[in-house]
Amino acid sequence: MVQDTRLIELKGVCKNFGDTQVLRDVDLYIRKCEFITLLGPSGCGKTTLLRIIGGFEMPSSGEVLFEGSDLTVIPPYKRRINTVFQKYALFNHLNVYDNIAFGLNLKTPEQLGVKTKAEKKKEIERRVKRMLRLVKMDGYEKRSTDALSGGQQQRIAIARALVNEPEVLLLDEPLGALDLKLRKEMQLELKAMQQQLGITFIYVTHDQEEALTMSDTIAVMNGGRIQQIGDPKRIYDEPKNAFVADFIGESNILSGTMLQDELVEFSGTEFQCVDEGFGTNAPVDVVIRPEDIMIVGEDVGMLTGTVQSVIFKGVHYEMMIKGESDGTLWKVHSTTMQPVGTRVGMTIVPYNIHIMRKATTADAVPVSDSGKEEA
Amino acid sequence: MKRSWYASPYALWMLLFAVVPLLFVCWYAFTTPDGAFTLANFQEFTKPRYMGVILRSLKLALYCTALCLLIGYPTAYFLAGRGFNHAQSLVVLILLPMWMNLLLRTYAMMTLLDDNGVLNAALTALGLGKVRVIGTEGAVLMGLVYNYLPFMVLPIYTVLKKMDYSVIEAAEDLGCNPLRVITRVVIPMSVPGIVSGVTMVFMPAVTSFAISTLLSNGKIRLAGDLIDYIFNQSSNPNRWNIGSSFSLIMLVLILLSIGFLRKVDPDNEGGGMW
Repeated sequence: MVQDTRLIELKGVCKNFGDTQVLRDVDLYIRKCEFITLLGPSGCGKTTLLRIIGGFEMPSSGEVLFEGSDLTVIPPYKRRINTVFQKYALFNHLNVYDNIAFGLNLKTPEQLGVKTKAEKKKEIERRVKRMLRLVKMDGYEKRSTDALSGGQQQRIAIARALVNEPEVLLLDEPLGALDLKLRKEMQLELKAMQQQLGITFIYVTHDQEEALTMSDTIAVMNGGRIQQIGDPKRIYDEPKNAFVADFIGESNILSGTMLQDELVEFSGTEFQCVDEGFGTNAPVDVVIRPEDIMIVGEDVGMLTGTVQSVIFKGVHYEMMIKGESDGTLWKVHSTTMQPVGTRVGMTIVPYNIHIMRKATTADAVPVSDSGKEEA
Repeated sequence: MKRSWYASPYALWMLLFAVVPLLFVCWYAFTTPDGAFTLANFQEFTKPRYMGVILRSLKLALYCTALCLLIGYPTAYFLAGRGFNHAQSLVVLILLPMWMNLLLRTYAMMTLLDDNGVLNAALTALGLGKVRVIGTEGAVLMGLVYNYLPFMVLPIYTVLKKMDYSVIEAAEDLGCNPLRVITRVVIPMSVPGIVSGVTMVFMPAVTSFAISTLLSNGKIRLAGDLIDYIFNQSSNPNRWNIGSSFSLIMLVLILLSIGFLRKVDPDNEGGGMW
């Protein structure tokens, strides 16, 4: 699906609002037909980045290229880019049909591939009807937008943008206001639409699960910088730094020492791992996902600990286990429950131990959750 | 005590000072001074000198409303604009004249426009000669616009201020150039404010009195002045009956225009007061 041509390219993009640096030196390229998600906590600059691509903000410095030519000189109404706004921004003086037809009505008959005004009207009707079917809202043409539920308004907002057949669709946390079940449905539907229409989607969210579900590529952002770009599996399995590891999924993040290639020490214990090239006795961050810790008998584990608390999470139990060697509190996910106070053993297989260089330079991002990192 | 009883002082007040007088007006309008039923009072209205006054009132009220809209809309748009930090204080400045008595404001207007007033003094000083303003329809129109302009600005300002800015961005996003953003989205979405403003200017303008008398040295009479004249100064023995019938006609005209405006803005979103 994703083609190799670079549709949009950002080079060294910075954005300041007064004294606040919102974007710092962002480099990013977006390929044709790619579903890319800008993921990060609120205030990380992801929405500003989206608004620069949409044309609602100008970068303070840096280049934004669309098919190789400068995009910043083109006003938003001339860009082949459409946006689904966070709060839908439907026109409440128009009904559902006229909302979706809004962009098409502004075009000349020639732009719609027909000759006369009457043909234009028919063409618009055909396209609007098709869009309504796509977002599963056929029959709602005459409704007032105020009479729609949040989920329905969202569908109309998506239809209103997609009907213009843009090269790129920007989505600014479009599912934020929907309930969990609807959100999950819409995630799959959006992904299906994107694949069916072959349009590039740039999606902004703070919800890591949403990002993992839908994206071809995820760009994790924090503090105005892109922390890591990669496909969901890579981002999840090989987080580049402690921030990404902490933000994507749940993790145990510990300080350790890389003794030599494929051998790391943390929690007072030596472990086999699969990473190389850190040198000898290098200080590193170690990330272990809670589901990668296996609970075994208390005598056969690599580590031993005592269960401090158990929370039922639906599919699994979340247990906090206090390690005996150094008092580390381990977060462990398991489908079998161990009662509080049980002494257990824990085992981690080598490829589930993720090693990261200690953050030392300016891109060191302190993780806000205290006690998890000693940056 | 039921909650609705709390409204009883107001109900009593309205009954005594609105409903009962209105019934009196109706009674007088349809009777002769002897108390016999007649429609003759309404025929009075068709006399050219009365008809002319009503038509002139409607004309001046329409001009006034149109001018207020032309001046008021851009003002409100400017005040409601994003990134304009002094809007609040400017809104207060626009409101300020409304806190002053209408007659006081009109006297001030007289001083400005008088043959020997500030305007003509300035023109003379510039060597341009005097212009006669007081006594013309133009002066009356100026007085009406000056007095009623804030009633146009405020409701439009309120509606524009409440408008979500992302709607404007959405319009740009979908292909509107800056002019089309205004014609296709901003103006249509502010219709409730326009309706409210038009109502609040047109109603008082069409029934206004004093402004016209003062600014025309009594030469130009509007419907309000006419009713006032018939009741208070006319020597006609039927003056109470004729005056009442004219009042009723004005009332019906106003009700009709409210009905019409309701059709344009059925939800009354502009928060009109009428």
